Amino acid sequence: MLPKTLLLRRKESSAFGVIFLLLCLLVLVRPLAAQDNYEIQVYGSDTVAPKTTMLELHSNFTVDGSKPLPGSVYTADGTYPTNHAEHETIEITQGLTNWSEVGFYIFTSSRSGQGIQWVGDHIRPRVRVPDSWHWPVGVSLSTEIGYQRRDFSTDTWTWEIRPIIDKQIGRWYFAVNPALERSFHGESVSQGVGFSPNAKISYDFTKVITGGLEYYASYGRLGDFDDLHNQQQQFFPAIDLNVSPNWEINFGVGVGPTAGTDHLIVKAIIGRRFDWSGHHERGSSLSTQ
Amino acid sequence: MNRRDFLTGCTALSAASVLHSHANLWAQQMADVTLTIAPLDLEIAPGKTVHTIAYNGSVPGPLIRWPEGEPITIDVLNQTDAPEIVHWHGLWIPSNVDGASEEGSPMIPPHGRLRYSFTPRPSGFRWYHTHTYAGHNLKRATYTGQFGCFYIDPKENAGSYDQEIFLALHDWNPYMSGGGDASMDVSYDFGSINGKMLGAGEPLRVKEGQRVLIHILNASATLTHWLACSGHEMQVLAMDGNPVPIRKNVQAVRLAPAERIDVVIEMKQPGVWVLGETRDDLRKAGMGVVVEYANQQGEPRWIAPPETLWDYTQFARSQKAAESDVRIPLVFRSKFTGHGDFDHWMINGKSFPKTDTIALQPGKRHRLVMQNESTDDHPIHLHRHTFEVTNLDGVPVSGLIKDVLVVKAKSTAEVDFTASNPGMTLFHCHQQSHMDFGFMMLFRYA
Repeated sequence: MLPKTLLLRRKESSAFGVIFLLLCLLVLVRPLAAQDNYEIQVYGSDTVAPKTTMLELHSNFTVDGSKPLPGSVYTADGTYPTNHAEHETIEITQGLTNWSEVGFYIFTSSRSGQGIQWVGDHIRPRVRVPDSWHWPVGVSLSTEIGYQRRDFSTDTWTWEIRPIIDKQIGRWYFAVNPALERSFHGESVSQGVGFSPNAKISYDFTKVITGGLEYYASYGRLGDFDDLHNQQQQFFPAIDLNVSPNWEINFGVGVGPTAGTDHLIVKAIIGRRFDWSGHHERGSSLSTQ
Repeated sequence: MNRRDFLTGCTALSAASVLHSHANLWAQQMADVTLTIAPLDLEIAPGKTVHTIAYNGSVPGPLIRWPEGEPITIDVLNQTDAPEIVHWHGLWIPSNVDGASEEGSPMIPPHGRLRYSFTPRPSGFRWYHTHTYAGHNLKRATYTGQFGCFYIDPKENAGSYDQEIFLALHDWNPYMSGGGDASMDVSYDFGSINGKMLGAGEPLRVKEGQRVLIHILNASATLTHWLACSGHEMQVLAMDGNPVPIRKNVQAVRLAPAERIDVVIEMKQPGVWVLGETRDDLRKAGMGVVVEYANQQGEPRWIAPPETLWDYTQFARSQKAAESDVRIPLVFRSKFTGHGDFDHWMINGKSFPKTDTIALQPGKRHRLVMQNESTDDHPIHLHRHTFEVTNLDGVPVSGLIKDVLVVKAKSTAEVDFTASNPGMTLFHCHQQSHMDFGFMMLFRYA
């Protein structure tokens, strides 16, 4: 997952003059906030099973996002605008053990006049609390490091650590991802650690259809949050279709009410699970070894 | 009203009367077998202890071996704080001693006792186990160690052999898991054979050239198990204690909960081997036992069998079975209650105890025409009768006699039985989490 808007938040709180900062915010916040619109997903605690590969395609279209400066193809911070950009991300996750996996991302962007562009790659190992520990909630921890081109982000090397806590109770599902992010190379290197929580609540209307609300935010630097107006706040009413254990389908429309957020995004995730273990689900008549 | 409420109401009265009538018997004569139900800390491997409930302080409970046709009396003492009951699985015995309160068998009150008296039949490999409700309490019912083998010696043995071994499979430390795309299911931390994890118990000691008859019981509450013996073929002699029409050599056997199988293994590969689950994760969780040839040493070796599909029809005759007199259609469906809970189950659109109680015509041959529209397999079990498998997913067969049959997801199966044992008769899925949430019904005799 590309970094949230923490990079910008650090800028905002740096030692610029107040007036200059306010002027900058108007032009800088939204373009940078949009850079995370590549993989929009609240993580559940479960990991991909060993000898199993999960292949996902994240398709996100920004209906109302950042726009270029007059006479330029870039926004004020030197990145491509997100307005009417189609972001396609391929995520490949390989299960390692019953409690670990590693994910790999290929980010792309296409926009009128720019063609299809490679944006960057990330790698994301993840571990979780094994079932045998019998914790009352699901818990896992992922860490993600990667590169994205300067044309798409003011910070090219970034790192994220993401605790994941979730719980399914009957038809209700709750998940929270209080992620922390940091830049290693780029304009925000000196800005410290940013806080970007995500959360999800959903309800199983039927066995197949689950509807809920996803929340994505970036509050800014830890200990020095931005004011609400400049925080990234996105709300995605979303639907999950549980058509098969081998498929993952998610669709949502996101609204960003603050200045620091792209205002309207449509997202879709289609995932397919490939089981290389040579046997089928437990309890199946087809199961063998 | 759920199953627990139903049981409480319908058994209280019968329990009181039966217990009273049996009270004098205790003083008059000793029983042939005594089972004591009590909590047990069971060490399934060094350093791994499970807290469970068991018979006579052991898992499995004592092997009951009894000659065909001889009456038996079994005293059961319940030293727990909950009502209990013992079901004698696979026996043609009356409803009031079958050990299913839904049929009218009395519960054994906490710290109470009960005498069961019946004549065990038919011969073959049967078993006994608790038949209580667990629901979401996975420390009760068949999740515990309350099971044991019951062998009714036939007039003639099923095959020639040099050694006879009983193996009982069980899974321990159950917990709800799953969610996501599927509903909750039960998973386990450990598995065991005869109460010990792989490598923790005594090995099966064999000699080269021996024919070893192994009676295998899957006493897991919910898990189907696959077993193989590291390169040794297994000849299937009987299923659920009943000789199969066609004996086949197989690389691996599949056993759903409550299923039994009798196999003969010719010991002709000296070494130290693992007889265990074919799936690595379950075998590593303990589901296996070491087979040690005489004068052989070393680490037990595991050889995975080739890909095997389980097909009942290979053990049955391909001819059509006799026509039935009465056809009883049964449709199995699930009712979704959330990805965070167990599904509820329905037979012909109703969950127990609201299911229809269907009347059987005495002496008539009845055919259960089962259509499983759910996405789960169901090991269905008919109490107090055995049935002949007559059709599997459209393929007519005959001669295969069982009391538990896996009706695969999205498939059909037909079984025939003759209504020859009057009394209330329970029919249910033997997965504890299915029967507790509605997958039961009763037959009554007209």
